[in-house]
Amino acid sequence: MTTTDSHNGRRLTARGAKTRAKIVAGAADLMFIQGVGGTTLDDVIAASGVSKSQLYHHFAGKDALVRAVIDHVGEFVIGRERDALGHVSTIAGLRRWRDALVQNNALRHGAYGCSLGALASEVSDNDDLARQTLSQLFGEWQGLLAGVLHRLQDSGALSPEAPIDQLATGLLGALQGGYMLAQTARDVTPMATSIDMALTHIESLSAH
Amino acid sequence: MRTHFAEVLAREGPCLVGVTDGAMLACWRRRIVDELMTPRSPYVLALQPTDDVSERVDFLDRWRELIAEMVDRLVQSGTTIDAPWPSAEATRVAVDVQKTAVLILAALHGGSTLSQLVQDPRPLNAALDLALAPFAATEDNCRARMGTE
Repeated sequence: MTTTDSHNGRRLTARGAKTRAKIVAGAADLMFIQGVGGTTLDDVIAASGVSKSQLYHHFAGKDALVRAVIDHVGEFVIGRERDALGHVSTIAGLRRWRDALVQNNALRHGAYGCSLGALASEVSDNDDLARQTLSQLFGEWQGLLAGVLHRLQDSGALSPEAPIDQLATGLLGALQGGYMLAQTARDVTPMATSIDMALTHIESLSAH
Repeated sequence: MRTHFAEVLAREGPCLVGVTDGAMLACWRRRIVDELMTPRSPYVLALQPTDDVSERVDFLDRWRELIAEMVDRLVQSGTTIDAPWPSAEATRVAVDVQKTAVLILAALHGGSTLSQLVQDPRPLNAALDLALAPFAATEDNCRARMGTE
C-alpha cells in the first residue's frame, strides 16, 4: 500500500509514510517547546530516532520540514477548533470554548502558547510558502469564529448590523495575543482576560 | 534592556501621556499600526519571540502599565462612546482599566502577527477596533482631527 507526500508528490510506502510521520511529529514537538529557530535537524534526528539519511530522504532541508510541521499542526488545530466551534450558536457556548482553551493552556502554565501562533511568529518573514499556508489556516480559524457569530446573528442574539468578519478577526487577534502574553508571563491569566474582554464586547452588541 | 524594548518604551511613554481624548487615541493607534507593519521596526522586533524572557516580561509589564494609565485618563475624562449603531443597545458597562489594557496589548500582539502573515493591516485594525471599542478611536477619527478629510 502506498500514500502520496503532499509536498513533493512522491509516493510513499506504508513504512516510508510511518517514518515521515514520526519525523514530523518529533519536529513539531521540539519546535513547539524550543521554537523553530532553536530546533536543528540534528535535534529532530535525535528526538525522532531516525537516521540522517532517512530524514534527508523525506525532506530536502529545514524549510521543507517546517512546512510539513505547519501542515501537521494546522490539521490538528483546525480539526480541534472545527469540533469545538462547529455547532456553537450561543454566547454561553463561546464562553465554554474559551474555558476549554484556557484550561488546556493552564495545564502547561501557559508556557508554550498556541502551536499555530508560535509557528506564525517565527516563520512568516523567512518562507513565503509557509507564510501563505499559515495565512490560509488562520483564515479557516477566522471562518469558524465568523460561523458562530453568524449563527448568533441568525438567532437574534447579535445585532444584524454587527460586522461579523471584522469581529471574528478581532476575536482571533485577541486570542492569539492572549496566548502570546500568557506564554511570556508563564501564566494563563492574561489569555483568559483578553478573550473575556473580547467576548464581553461581542455580547454588548446584543440586538435586544 | 534590549535596545528595541527600550526604544519602544522611550517612544510610548510620551506618546501615551499625550493621549487625552478619543481623537488622540485614534492617532496613537494609527501610528502604532504603521510601526507594526514596518519590517524591522523596533515595535516588530520587540514583539518577536526571544530567549530573554525576563526582559520581555519587564517590557510588556511596563507597556501595559503605560496603556492602563492612558485608559484611566480617558475614563476619568469621560471619553467613551455610545452604541455603535442606532438599533443596538450596547450595554454601557464600566470600563475595567487593567483588563482593557491587557486586551489592547493582546490586540497589538496577536493582531500584528495575523497582519504580518497576510501582509495587510486589516487584521490588526480589526483587533484594535475590538479592543478600543469603549472609545471613539477609529482611523477616521484621527484623519478628521488632523484635517486630512
